[in-house]
Amino acid sequence: MPYHKFKCSECIPEREKHAVVKGPGEDITSALPLGYLNTIPGSISERGCAYCGAKHVIGTPMKDVIHMSHGPVGCTYDTWQTKRYISDNDNFQLKYTYATDMKEKHIIFGAEKLLKQNIIEAFKAFPSIKRMTLYQTCASALIGDDINAIAAEVMEEMPEVDIFVCNSPGFGGPSQSGGHHKINIAWINQKVGNVEPKITSDYVINYVGEYNIQGDQEVMVDYFKKMGIQVLSTFTGNGSYDDLRSMHRAHLNVLECARSAEYICNELKVRYGTPRLDIDGFGFEPMSASLRKVGLFFGIEDRAQAIIDEETAKWKPELEWYKERLKGKKVCLWPGGSKLWHWAHVIHDEMGLEVVSVYTKFGHQGDMEKGISRCEEGTLAIDDPNELEGLEAMEMLKPDIIFTGKRPGEVAKKIRVPYLNAHAYHNGPWKGYEGWVRFARDIYNAIYSPIHQLSLVDISKEEIPTETKFLTQKMISDMNLSEEVTSSKDLREYTGKYDIISELRGKTYPDFPAQKKLSAV
Amino acid sequence: MEDMMKDRVEQLVDYIMKKCLWQFHSRSWDREKQNEGILTKTMQILCEEPVKKETPTDKCYWVDAVYLADAFKSRYSWMATLDKEEIKLLMQELKDRIDYLTIKGSLNAELTDPHY
Amino acid sequence: MQCEVKNKERVGVINPILTCQPCGAQYASIGIKECIGIVHGGQGCVMFVRLLFSQHFKESFELASSSLHEDGAVFGATHRVEEAVDVLLMRYPHVKVIPIISTCSTEVIGDDIDGVVLKLNSGLLKEKYAGREVHLIPIHSPSFKGSMVSGYDVAVKDIVSHFAKKDKPNGKINLFTGWVNPGDVTALKHLLTEIQVDATVLFEIESFDSPLMPDGNSVSYGNTTIEDLTETADALGTIALNRYEGGQAAKYLENEFDIPTIIGPTPIGIRNTDIFLQNVKKITGKPIPASLVRERGIALDALTDLTHMFFADKKVAIYGNADLVIGLAEFCLDLEMKPVLLLLGDDNTSYPNDPRIKALQENVSFEMEVIMNADLWELENRIKNEGLELDLILGHSKGRFISIDYNIPMVRVGFPTYDRAGLYRHPVVGYAGATWLGEEIANTLFTDMEYKKNKEWVLNVW
Repeated sequence: MPYHKFKCSECIPEREKHAVVKGPGEDITSALPLGYLNTIPGSISERGCAYCGAKHVIGTPMKDVIHMSHGPVGCTYDTWQTKRYISDNDNFQLKYTYATDMKEKHIIFGAEKLLKQNIIEAFKAFPSIKRMTLYQTCASALIGDDINAIAAEVMEEMPEVDIFVCNSPGFGGPSQSGGHHKINIAWINQKVGNVEPKITSDYVINYVGEYNIQGDQEVMVDYFKKMGIQVLSTFTGNGSYDDLRSMHRAHLNVLECARSAEYICNELKVRYGTPRLDIDGFGFEPMSASLRKVGLFFGIEDRAQAIIDEETAKWKPELEWYKERLKGKKVCLWPGGSKLWHWAHVIHDEMGLEVVSVYTKFGHQGDMEKGISRCEEGTLAIDDPNELEGLEAMEMLKPDIIFTGKRPGEVAKKIRVPYLNAHAYHNGPWKGYEGWVRFARDIYNAIYSPIHQLSLVDISKEEIPTETKFLTQKMISDMNLSEEVTSSKDLREYTGKYDIISELRGKTYPDFPAQKKLSAV
Repeated sequence: MEDMMKDRVEQLVDYIMKKCLWQFHSRSWDREKQNEGILTKTMQILCEEPVKKETPTDKCYWVDAVYLADAFKSRYSWMATLDKEEIKLLMQELKDRIDYLTIKGSLNAELTDPHY
Repeated sequence: MQCEVKNKERVGVINPILTCQPCGAQYASIGIKECIGIVHGGQGCVMFVRLLFSQHFKESFELASSSLHEDGAVFGATHRVEEAVDVLLMRYPHVKVIPIISTCSTEVIGDDIDGVVLKLNSGLLKEKYAGREVHLIPIHSPSFKGSMVSGYDVAVKDIVSHFAKKDKPNGKINLFTGWVNPGDVTALKHLLTEIQVDATVLFEIESFDSPLMPDGNSVSYGNTTIEDLTETADALGTIALNRYEGGQAAKYLENEFDIPTIIGPTPIGIRNTDIFLQNVKKITGKPIPASLVRERGIALDALTDLTHMFFADKKVAIYGNADLVIGLAEFCLDLEMKPVLLLLGDDNTSYPNDPRIKALQENVSFEMEVIMNADLWELENRIKNEGLELDLILGHSKGRFISIDYNIPMVRVGFPTYDRAGLYRHPVVGYAGATWLGEEIANTLFTDMEYKKNKEWVLNVW
């Protein structure tokens, strides 16, 4: 096994099996790090907890819900206003968070009464909201409060409300991924099958594992609606609680982030026979493949093709403009989980970037199988990285840019590596065709930032050029490009607006009257 | 001859491993079904044989198979030179290899977890 | 007309103003040089706090976790602290100070972090790290008690009491700044320099605002050294600016080493800064120099341009850490504004006895509410459902949507302020802070007048 040994981790030999380099002739049967194991204490890993995996990542993007955590205030505070999952109901789920505010006396005497009071108070404060998700925390798990019983009691007394309970305390599992799992299973066990939806199309899907970061979901749903497909629910970005209770009525589960949401798709398949189709919403070719496959499933591939043709014609020249300027730039692709495989091959194929390293904070070996398969030779793959390993890797690999989280991005900044936020994005959405151009544009602007260039200069040691009073990104990026490229009429810079999501809301779509179910082809 | 076969299988393997996701379900029983379902249907499409797609599951396999068959045909010009028996042989080799990479030879310790 | 002091009536929290104790302990921990704290609990208790710090400062700070998992939650997890200390010491050879910060989970399961420290001191540190100076400091900061404010207070006290050791008088004063920004420390040190007083500043966090250097090796960390902490017992006197953030440590030094101690006031505004200088003078005997008279004059000059023209009778709501809120309220009153609603974000039972709150109760002649154990819903509900009309909100970024949704101008102040650029660089304390605050408030009101076309023409001739 081509393990990579970090100097900084020589003293913790367990770490050795968590990093591999995909060498020549290597594949995932010979190069795969260990994964999803407990973190070594004190290693300064980047992992979060199972509570946040459940509540913050998957529960909270649901938009029409009171999201309450049963515990001390910190868990709630922490998982509030640190994400960019927006919604078309004025971001209710981003704005409001609820803690039962467990105190010492509750630890001693129990907090079930406190919980019940809290639930009632919260519904009273927001009379138009009738749905609630309730999350256990470390503290309420350890004192053994029966949250399910309290929720049932309230639902009995207040028949107009519905409450979902997720028992996923922070200590439950090696990382946030434990929480993804628990909330998937809890949702299907408690809520799916509870509501019978109105079916308005012959083609009905659940869009699963999509969190509407900066509007990704709305971009994708726009495509689906153009095809006449009814998106019954989205699990969970911009998703509606009651829609998600009717997931059993979809014909197809279209799965995006398999890391966080495959469990519910697998269970839906077992329990309701709904097939699972894994897709990639990032990149032109994967996006087109995804639309075509969904179209094929329903026998409406012509509708998919129409979107693919139109979008490709519109945006390809812009993607190509960036590709010419990003070719050969080295990337550390260091996201949380799924983006390491969503992006690994396609930023190489479609933007010309070289992925020199992938890592995953909370992913499993399955994510690394996908990621390593999609990487080129020589890529360093790291599981559950820690602060020093990240620095050592960047020193060694000298990336031109890093895609990672907000805080590790600040570490990269200091060693003068530009960063883009892999979780929340810089100027997204990044899904869909235009979104993919926006991603390329963000990468370009980061790498060719004139300010970034200045950070490499030591004015005490170097001659300061007096002729240059300013530089533009283009002056820097086009310096070594051929005339053919720089003056090409076939390529152009991004032409879209700052906000491309608002106009999607309230858009009207072609009417495809529901007929008898069409057979595919 | 064997080398050429091996080389061609590797080209197809490379395509699948880079571009597809269906072979990476998280449990070995699902991977077996996925590989079997999709690669069998791909073979049938390439051999112009009838393909079962009446159940939702079959239809979903078929979708990935259509896509894969199209990709194979458009990317690998040598595909057109093969007769049906050769395609079947090739696809069997391919399936064996994908099964090895994703199941039998997989280092993924979670494949045998009995639950989702 | 009166000032009413009361508790929030609801039991729960809708949109918290403050987070829990471990965050405060971690904020203290990053102020110390060659120090990395270990938070004993689930990983989220560290990951999110580091994220919060990085949101506020746009910098990354090092903090470790003992990574509590199920087995530890069931059978006890002190061995994970032992392992964390060892791993940290092996991989960070410069580290000398390791606060071990407890959380709700590890307090509930009853992990004995004091016992672990004793065990490590006599075991691991003696055997494996003989000759290396290492300080392990247990800090009990269960999340179900107090708030980040008390967590900070407890941690500062535990850290100081760990190190403070009487030697010979050092002629310095101890300055406990409370939970402030780098810009505040710069402003405070400037005042002390002008008055020619040498101080041990706890904590030296100016370096939180760290540069991007050509050699690419700059990191953000606090600069308070072990020597600084040890010498706190030798000081001429102690000034703790904030009653609830560092006050306990000041009292500890007073009780233990008979160090003359003055707690408060939070030097926000001209008057409180004057008193702060007077206190420094009282302890050190140093006169207030002409340079500060001039600086004060510049601040007064700036504020005089603003108060009765623009600020008078403007209704303000203020939320956040109690010391900050009270300091801001006092300053608002001097600026002729009406702080009609003060929201203190935790349940500290001593607030009603705080002389500053009593003074408000005795002297304020308009309707004013002081809500203890408050959350942000206390503010929003009053605006949304109870007809509260406000001209200005003062508070941190977590309340941003109230300002946005109800079109109320807001000046970001406190912690965290991630939705505005560089605020950690600007002081709210001292004369510089008074000027900055006054002008920031004015410019925010001006922008709002223009945005709403609300007598925007007034500014034509100002």
